[in-house]
Amino acid sequence: MHVDEADLGLRRRTYAFFVEHGRAPLAAELGDPDEVLAGWRRLHAEHAVVLNPATDELRMLNPFSVVPTAYRVQAGGRWWYGNCAWDAFGICAALQTDGRVETSCPDCGEPLAVAVRDGRPEDESLLFHCLVPAGHWWDDIVFS
Amino acid sequence: MNLFRSEEHIARWLGGRKPGATMSVTKLSELAQAWWDDRLSPDWAPHTRDQNMAILERLGLTGDFWELA
Repeated sequence: MHVDEADLGLRRRTYAFFVEHGRAPLAAELGDPDEVLAGWRRLHAEHAVVLNPATDELRMLNPFSVVPTAYRVQAGGRWWYGNCAWDAFGICAALQTDGRVETSCPDCGEPLAVAVRDGRPEDESLLFHCLVPAGHWWDDIVFS
Repeated sequence: MNLFRSEEHIARWLGGRKPGATMSVTKLSELAQAWWDDRLSPDWAPHTRDQNMAILERLGLTGDFWELA
């Protein structure tokens, strides 16, 4: 895996925009649209961002989801979406702040909510299930 | 990668599918901290496979299921 300094800089600016504004930037908001899009594609190839292949728009800035998901996270004075349960907790970790994860049980639909304080969940009774083996996560990262 | 109330809910949700891996939400939070806490750092660089494998191993997540590509 190799990402050059220019693309790391683009990635930093992309994440910074997302955290500041609470939404993903359009390519034109970060510079020359063609150059930005080319950089995002290289970052996508290295799993450093995830693009929607149909539109070339940002889909994931892991652990953040750019689009609404079943995992809502309140942290740092704003609501975010995580790509999955792992990423939802990862949002608190990335922002280095306490937060609250809200979702529903995929089996019964019962609402589930758990506060995160100092990196630990306050309700320790919940369980996490990872269906896809690690070696196949990036076969279809949206499904994983 | 979902949260559940109990093992019973996981089993019912799986139906006939082969189970993956289950862990406590406390372990998940430890994993998330180790995996994502540098993600907004100005010095962030992509984790190597070895770095990520080391995180998994440190948390006891070993075996074929946790073998990264």
